[in-house]
Formats: sequence, C-alpha cells, structure tokens
Amino acid sequence: MTIGAPINRIDGRLKVTGDARYAADFAVPKPLYGHLVTSTVGLGRITGVDDAAARQVAGVRAVYHHANPLPIEEASAFFGSGGRSQQSWQPFAEPDVRFYGETVALIVAETILAAREAAKLLRFEYAAEDPAAVFQAEGTTAEELPDSALSSGEIDVAMQDAAEVLDVEYDTSPNTHNAMELFATTAQWQGQELTVYVPSQWVEGFQAGLAVELGIPEDNIRVVSPYVGGGFGGKGSLFTWVSLVALASKAQGRPVKLYVTREQGFTVASFRAETRQSFRLGAAEDGRFTGFEHYGRELSSRADTYVVNGAEATARMYHADAVRTGVTCVHADRQTPGFMRSPAETPYFFALESGVDEMARRLNMNPVELRRVNDIDSEPVNGVPYTSRSLMECYDIAGEAFGWGEYDPTIGAFTEGDELIGWGCATAAYPTQMSPCSVRIHFDITGKTKVMVASHDLGTGAYTVLAQAAANALGVPVESVTVELGDTRLPPGTIAGGSVTTASNVSVIEIACASILERLGTSVEAMNPEEAFGNFGQNAIEEYAEWIPPAAGEGAGKSLYNGRVRIVGGAEEKYVAFAFGAEFAEVRVNRFTKEIRVPRLIGAFAAGRIMNEKTARSQYLGGMIWGIGHALLEKTEVDPRTGAVVNDNISEYLVPVNADVPHIEAILVPETDTKVNPAGIKGIGEIGIVGTAAAIANAVHHATGVRVRHLPIRMEDLITA
Amino acid sequence: MTSSPERPSSPDRRGRVTRRGLLKGTAASSAAALGSYRAGAQEAQGGDPSGGETVHVQLTINGASHEFTLDVRTTLLDLVREQMDLTGTKVGCNHGQCGACTVLLDGVRINSCLMLAAAADGRSMTTIEGLGTQDELHPMQSAFIENDGFQCGYCTPGQIMSAVGCVTEGHAGDEAEIREYMSGNLCRCGAYKGITNAVAQARDDTLEWAEAT
Amino acid sequence: MRPFNYQRPANAEEAVAMVDPMGVAGQGGAFLAGGTTIIDLMKLHVVTPPSLTDLGPVGLDEIEEGNDGTLHVGARVTMAKAAEHPAFRDRAPVLSEALWKAASAQLRNVATLGGNVLQRTRCPYFRDNVSPCNKRDPGSGCAAIGGINRLLAVLGTSEQCIANYAGDWANALILFDATVETMSGDGGREIPFADLHVLPEDHPERETVLGDDELITGYRLKIPGWARRSLYVKARDRDSYAFALASAAVALDMDGDTVREARIGLGGVATVPWRAREAEEFLSGQSLTEETAMRAGEIAFDGAQPYEHNAFKVPLGRNAVAKGLLDAASLDLAGEAQQ
Repeated sequence: MTIGAPINRIDGRLKVTGDARYAADFAVPKPLYGHLVTSTVGLGRITGVDDAAARQVAGVRAVYHHANPLPIEEASAFFGSGGRSQQSWQPFAEPDVRFYGETVALIVAETILAAREAAKLLRFEYAAEDPAAVFQAEGTTAEELPDSALSSGEIDVAMQDAAEVLDVEYDTSPNTHNAMELFATTAQWQGQELTVYVPSQWVEGFQAGLAVELGIPEDNIRVVSPYVGGGFGGKGSLFTWVSLVALASKAQGRPVKLYVTREQGFTVASFRAETRQSFRLGAAEDGRFTGFEHYGRELSSRADTYVVNGAEATARMYHADAVRTGVTCVHADRQTPGFMRSPAETPYFFALESGVDEMARRLNMNPVELRRVNDIDSEPVNGVPYTSRSLMECYDIAGEAFGWGEYDPTIGAFTEGDELIGWGCATAAYPTQMSPCSVRIHFDITGKTKVMVASHDLGTGAYTVLAQAAANALGVPVESVTVELGDTRLPPGTIAGGSVTTASNVSVIEIACASILERLGTSVEAMNPEEAFGNFGQNAIEEYAEWIPPAAGEGAGKSLYNGRVRIVGGAEEKYVAFAFGAEFAEVRVNRFTKEIRVPRLIGAFAAGRIMNEKTARSQYLGGMIWGIGHALLEKTEVDPRTGAVVNDNISEYLVPVNADVPHIEAILVPETDTKVNPAGIKGIGEIGIVGTAAAIANAVHHATGVRVRHLPIRMEDLITA
Repeated sequence: MTSSPERPSSPDRRGRVTRRGLLKGTAASSAAALGSYRAGAQEAQGGDPSGGETVHVQLTINGASHEFTLDVRTTLLDLVREQMDLTGTKVGCNHGQCGACTVLLDGVRINSCLMLAAAADGRSMTTIEGLGTQDELHPMQSAFIENDGFQCGYCTPGQIMSAVGCVTEGHAGDEAEIREYMSGNLCRCGAYKGITNAVAQARDDTLEWAEAT
Repeated sequence: MRPFNYQRPANAEEAVAMVDPMGVAGQGGAFLAGGTTIIDLMKLHVVTPPSLTDLGPVGLDEIEEGNDGTLHVGARVTMAKAAEHPAFRDRAPVLSEALWKAASAQLRNVATLGGNVLQRTRCPYFRDNVSPCNKRDPGSGCAAIGGINRLLAVLGTSEQCIANYAGDWANALILFDATVETMSGDGGREIPFADLHVLPEDHPERETVLGDDELITGYRLKIPGWARRSLYVKARDRDSYAFALASAAVALDMDGDTVREARIGLGGVATVPWRAREAEEFLSGQSLTEETAMRAGEIAFDGAQPYEHNAFKVPLGRNAVAKGLLDAASLDLAGEAQQ
C-alpha cells in the first residue's frame, strides 16, 4: 500500500541539488531584463515624467509608463468578481495613482544592472492627495454586504438568557505573504506563440486572463510554473505586470525577464488585509453557548470588494441557540487584498478562539471542557450535519501529548525564575473544498505511468501524493510514476487554493486509473503490465478523465475549459465538511523584557484520509509556524500619512526563524470520512495556521494576565512603565 | 572566458580595472563553456555596454577556474544566476536578509547577493551545483530529503549550503545550536524541524565528506 | 546600483591614498570591507559612492595581544572570527555575545569589526530613499519623528533625527575604554572609541569624527580581569536574526553583593553607541538588588525622548539593564573556570 506511506518527496532530488527550475530559472535566449518602478505617493495623479536619466543609462531599451504605455487590450476582471486578476484595473491605463507602491513604469534593459539602475533614476512628478489608507483614516467608505450575513434564532433573547456575555473587539494586522521566491516573470514569444514563466497557483487562470489582456487566443499562450517557491495564496490570481512583460517582450523582439523586488512585492501583489471584529458570545452557566455574534470589518481597495468573511466558518464551530454574523468591506487607498493561507479562518479564528478562552475564564471552566460542552454534530445555522468531526478527539490526543492534565488556570501558576510560563489551546478548522479537475494518464507495458494535469505543487507534496494515488490505483510501484504539473499544455487541473488539490486530483486520478484497468481488463491486485498489454494488443494506453464534485452544480465541468474557478464544499446541502484540529501552545515571557517565545507547540489534526504522512506532517507544521508568525511577528506597517509600507523588507517584516521553533509537533489523528468525497480526503494545507494565534494569545494571558486582543502580540503590549 | 587549470598568481592582474565595453561577449562565452553542464544554457547579455566599469575577475567555481570581465557592480549571485545559468542559488531578497543565496566562499558560507564578484577575485566558490549531484548526493542533501527539510524547495539550496557551513564551522553541536546558527536562512514554508533534524543527522558524514574532498 | 570606480589597493597606506573623499552623507568615495552595509545601501541608491576602495587585500585581520595585555584588534577581523576568539569569549563574554547575537552566520562571516561600528541606521525613512530624511538629504526634514518609529531611538535624538544606531558590538566595546586606530593621508591617529560617533544634533548626516579619507585600521583595548562577569542582553521580537529593540551590555566588578564598578552600554535605543555613565556611577558601591538594578535602568533612561510608537523602549530598556545587571551578578564564574 502506498497510500499514507511516509515516502520521500519524488521531487526531492531536484530540489536539494538546485535542479528544480522555478520561474526565474528558465534559460531563454538573449533576454532583456525588466524592472518595475512603483509610485512614491499614496494617492494622486502623475503630472510629469522625467525619464531622461533613466534612458541615459547604457543598455536601457525602453521606459514604459502611462505616457508611453504598452497596448493592453482590456484589464482582466478581478478574481473576486469572477475574473482572474489580482485587481480590476491595469497599471498605465491612466495617470492616476491609487495606492503607494503601485506600478507606474516598466524599464527594459540589456542587463539586470542597467534595469535596476534606471529604475532608481526614473522620476515622476505627482499631484498628490492625502490617502485614506488605514481604518482610522478619514475618507474610507464602508460597504455592508448583507448577502454575506448569517442569521438564525433570536439573538437578543439568546444574549438576555446568557449567564455571561462577552462583548469585545479583536483586531488583526495586515500581513504580506513573503514567499521566499520573488515574483519573477519571463516572457518569450515564438511567432504568435507566447510562453510565460511565472510562479502561479493557477496557470489556467493566468492563461485566460492574459488572453483577455493581450487580446490573443488562449491557445497561443503557454503558462509554465512547474515549481513554485511558496504560494500561500499570493500567486493565485493574475499579476498586473505579467501582460506588461509580455507586451514589452513583443515590442522589443526579445524575451524579457523581470524580478519583482522583495520591497515591491509588498505592494504590487496582494496581501492579507487588516480586520476589526466585533465579537459577542453569550453562555449559560453550564457553558452552553446561547448567542453567537461575529461581525467583521475588512479593508480593501477603493475599486474592488474583497472580504474573507470568516464568520461563515466561526459561526459553524460550536453550539449556539442563535447566530448572527455580518461583514463590511471598508474601501481605502490601498492595493486590493487577496487570499493568504486560510484567508478567512486565520483572522476570524483568532477572535473566536480567544473569545472562547475568555468565556472559559469567566465561567471558571477548563477551556477544553467548554469546547466539549459545545461540541456538535450539526452546524447551528442551518442544522446541517458534518461529514465528520473529530474535534474533541484532536483535543484529547494533543492535550495528552502536551500534558494538559497538569493545567492550572491560575495566572502565572507555572512561573519559573524570570520566565512567566503560560499554556493555551485553540481549535483549528478548515472547510473541505473541492474543484472540478481533469487528468491524463499515460501507462505503458513497462509499467511506467505518467500523470499529467495542470495542477500545482507549491511545496505541498502534490507531485508525491498524486504519484502515490496513481500507483495505488493501478497497482504499480510509486517509483514507476512520474507527475507533470504546472503547465497549461496539460489537462485542466485545480487552482492551488482552498486546499482543494489533493482531494480533487486524487478523485480524478482514481477515475482515470479505474478506466485504464477496465480497458485493460485487469485489476490492481492482478496488475502485470506486460501481460495486460499483451492481451490488450498495444503497448501503451492513455486515459483522460474528469471529476466534478457533486455539489458543483450543473455545468460545472465547463469551468475546466473556460479558465474559471469553481471551488465547492462537500455535498453542501446535505452536509458541511471541515477538517478539525486542536493546538496547544506553551509560551515563555521574560519578566523583564517581555519577549514572548513559544518553546512548545503541539497540534493534532483529523483530515480524513492522509495520502503521505511525511508531507502531511510538514504541511501542518508549516501552518503552525505560520501561526507563530501571525501571533507574534507579522505586521505590514502602513504609514497612515502616505500609505507607504514602512517595513517592506524581510529584515523588518519578521517571519519566524529556525530559533523560534524549538519544539513543534503535529499529530495525525486517524479519520475515515466516507461522505466528503470519493477519495475520503480533506485539505490540509491551510488548517495548521488556524487557531495557532489564539492558542498563543491564550497562553500569553495565562502567563501574564494580560489579554491582548490584537495581532501581533509584541513586547510593548506586555511591558508597563 | 578561458578555463585555466591554475589560479592566476600574478597579483597585478587582480582587480585590474578595464574601461567599459572593451571585452565584449565574455559573459556569453562563459555560459557557453558551461553548456555541457546544463543544456540550453542561456546566452547572457551580448556586447552591449552596461554602464558600469568593467573588471577582470578570476574565480574558481565548483572546482573549475573561470575568468570573467564583468561590470564591477556584478554580485556573485547575479554572476552565477544570470551569466552562468547556475540557477540553484536563489534570489530571495537581494539584501542579505534571507539566506536563499548562500554559497561557500573558500569553504565559508556567505550571502552571495552582498558580495561583489570583484571582491571575491582569486577565491573559490561552491554553489549547490558543486556540492553533490542527483546521482551522488552530498550527505546533507540526502538528509534534507529523508527529513523532509523543505517544502517548496526554494530556500533549500541556501539552507543546504548554510548547513554544510554550519557543520564545518563547528556550530552543529546540539539542536539548539543548530537552530541558532541556521537562523540566517528563512524558510517561509516552515520546514525548520526537518532542517534541524537533517543537519543533526548529516553532521558526522558532512565532516567526513569535507575531509575526503 | 550606480556605477562606481573599483579600486583595489595592496595595503592600508595605498587605500587611504586612493580613496575619494567621502563627503557628507556618505556620498563620496567609500571603503569596502565586508560590504554588508554598503552594498545593501548602494543597491537602494541610499548611498551612491563614485568609487569603492576594496580593503580585501590590506590585511588587518588579526587579534593580537601585547606584552602588557593590551589587545590589538584588526579592523578587518570578521564578526564571526572575533565572536569565537578566546580573548573575547573567555575574558569578556559581552564582546563575544554582542557579536554572535547580531545578524546571521553568513553576514558575520564577511562583516568586519571596522565596518560593524560604522553600520548605518535601519531607520526605514532613511532607507526608503523617498521620505524627507536629514541624514540622507540634509535639510529635507525627518519623516520618522511623526511616523512609524517603533524601531527608532529615544536617547541622543534631536529634532532633526531619531535614527537609531543599529549595531550591537559597539555597545559592548564602549564599555572597555577602547581606542580606535585610524590611518589617513595625514598619517594616523587614535580616537577614544566613545568619541568616534557623534550625536545627530543639527547635522545627522555626520555620524562619526572620521575624516574624509580616514580608515579605521583597528582597536586597542585592555580587558580587565573582572570583565569575565559580563554579558549582552538583546531584546528582540524573534529569537535570532533580528535587530535589538533594546539591548544592554553589562560588565560588573563585584565585591560580594556590592558593586565595585559597573559598566553599562545600551543598544537599539540610542542614536549612537551609548554608555550609561550615570547609571554606572549610581551603582558604584551599591549592593546589587532588583531594586537597585531597576533604579540603574531608570537612571539610564533619564531624559529619554519617546515618540508615538517607541515609548515602550523606555521601560524595556530599563528592564533590559536590570536584567543584564542581575544576570551578570549571578554568573557562576568559578564553575566556568573549572571547565
């Protein structure tokens, strides 16, 4: 059995030798180098361009900007409104500047040095206005989104009936993905055919969006992204510069290669927007929740409405007699936000799981027991059952590993010398989602199997688990399977978002393999390729298959071929599907410096069938480490005066380093879910981060007595004069 | 470029500054000489003047001596990636903040993004491509695979070069020391546990390998 | 990066003869040592020297001890080498700890002690090359004072500049009355290390007393025997590879529980490497308790000027000093000596 086996990644050798080719690693003949220039005002209008100095740099071939634009056909629509792009407008279309750090020019030069130098020498004159770039600024506009609200039961009655009502606000900060890979893009034309090397979580969406922007047929565009240096949502929708690079390449008659700098990546790409959340929770004396109210305010750009609305999930975690949620989009002078690892759950579970912990304190209940009291089989909004829910098993297993039995709720009970020690826990959950997917499998008489699909491996292990799925479904050794991903020449796959990849791709691989067995007239158990093909009368077979999730509705299959995304949950009307987990954190706070460290973090997760224990564990651990960053480090600092990102580098936008992670453990809790999808798989790429911040915040409270209701939690939140 | 078997020893050729544009196409020929190493190696920029002063530099890269005439602003990172098609060394920040570009210079790990090639004249550099091959992995490479010390793989060459340096510097004594001395390599995927385990596991073999080579 | 003239002198004398005058705000020629600051800033166009004089071949990379116990530390000794040198590690751990807790192993392998004390500020408004910044563009104003100034200084600031000195080792070196040895076209001189840096006052573009062609060739210092009782507290958001929000370099000469002499350097909180002399004087002759340690920390921050986002640095710095003093006092040196 190859399913679940902790085999090493099949792309491991390529990655440890440097032979895996990421977008910037593809050699093209005689490339020119592109470099972006971004705006230095947060709102206004370009009134003049002085490009003389830039043009004088030896080797500069072109300086493109609004007054010397590249002929974009039309802006591809914003992803959030059914399109493919990160935002609804294209740079250079107008002299307007909508946020600080917006792309205002593209330099093309013979060398990377010349391009960088010229970019620094290009000068714009602006008629600048004061931007409203943050929540507290005057001039933002609020857009309520009533269609995204949930309501069930009598909320006022429920709150009146409660023995305790918690009514607080939780805030989260803007975050930037900061995948280690820069957003590099190379465009190469061969006649009318365009090849684009770009890190992408959605090659087909990029292809479709580019076709709109360039005004050429999709078939003339190939998007290649076999290895992605971290995605985390930041590479899920078409970047605005890709068509600029393609058009510059066309105009120059040479390939153009562009690196977006680390600094630019903070503004020209998407981000996780800040939230302000109102949270009201009522509980009876025995702990049962009576009323649950969760309202979010989320920042977005002026032009685009984008909210993550995590209350959709938080409202479905626990028992409640009445539920009310809502979300407001606050339009400001910033770039359009986008997905970032567990987009909805990460900020909103900080509120939910902090709030549950606060309620446990008020009720003098053990926080694990409070969650047990409110554990449910059916979600409370519509009364729909879960396909499976192993939440309390996760608590029990992780709690056991952590030593939660020793928990003493007294603040500072565990202090050791100068170290204030605290323990905290929180629920993790992530909805199980799927997407239509196709695959082509080539299988030959030697047993060699090639799986081909335009899905993606962002480091998630897709190459490996899809090989395992095919090996298992055909009855061949995993070593005989190769997998091709991340190329629009392959059959349509899934966007690498919403943790859909494994469930969807494995489901379709199993269908294709079953067809192959049927055509060959053999079975997994009896698999002998030489014999089977001998009987079949040819030496290889190629099978194409599609899988459409049942809940995807009519016509969903078409989404495979029109570059649109249709992500759906499980059998949505009959069931709701989530993966669940529980995380336990120990924090140590130095009583002098109030530095906060996380010496121990243990999570247990149940997510249906696990394809590969090794890569699955890595996904969980990675998510948990993201949670440490979210809790204690990560904040994209926006200067309210200008809208500029002040810490636009990874020396000051801090992410965890190795030293920050002394002991971290992810426990895989067995779970069989026959309802969620044919493969029995729930997504695991995002759940690890959910709840971590709350577990840490709860532990900080336990250590210090200080309840911090915003993220990140830093020493200034704990230190007192 | 000429691949000379010996390092040039004459000190006066070190750092000899030539005026721009005198030596056209040298970078292209350096790539061509590596063509056997990587099929499809990119032809680097042709003879166009780049604006910067040029400088003559000799470097031993992965055991072979190379001579270049370079724009003096060229960093080791830009040199290996953009002119030699040694793309295993990654660019993550260009400012010494992430470690993705880590290489060994005379056996010592450095950030190649902050080192001018001119300043490394006469020295010996090892990139991930010179450490081990897919057929004969360095023990650190094997340990990274075994311990799943990576996910997306982008920081991995830098992590591995840094890990080798960490061991040979004598800073892989225990896990806490490994974590501290590997903290110059960010891994956004969060593969730190596997990385730490890999370094600990491969420590002794790495020292043996270093002695043998 | 702007083009520059690259020069490679054979020795220090040649280097100072060759270097283009530096001029204000670092816009003249510059020496290239490890390059971890200047290449970074040149890429940002924050500094655009017309020439770089590479000190690679000039030597100056040894730590030597004279007969009288004076240490001579070459300016091109790397941070990594110095951190592990027994003269520091065993005799004045603060000088080692301030090094290995700085930057990353890769950076420490090339960054030199000469360059390290001249490390430029991490003020984001200095680095962005856009905002008003009196240090980068004299007379343009200071965007940091009303901006996101969490990382910036509360001591030694002026109305022109609150940029912090971002390094660590200098805050430890300042404890030992070190001397900076320099060379220039006029010959050479010796500068008390504490006089090397100058407060921003009305001219934040000027950071040191060094002349236009003046090269730091090394440091001389004598480490007192009691400096084994020394350490470096570095308070930062993450556990490694981060700048100090506040740091305290502490060395103590103890007579039982009584302080014979205390030396305290501060980092992450001041515009220049900072010696907390009043706090040192207060402690002299005091018995060291948590109360006196905290009082010393308070004294160290008397006159601090906090801003919107960095006010926490005053109590943080105070506490870092107290922690440093208490931790240093409780070091078990007898036990270490037996190792």
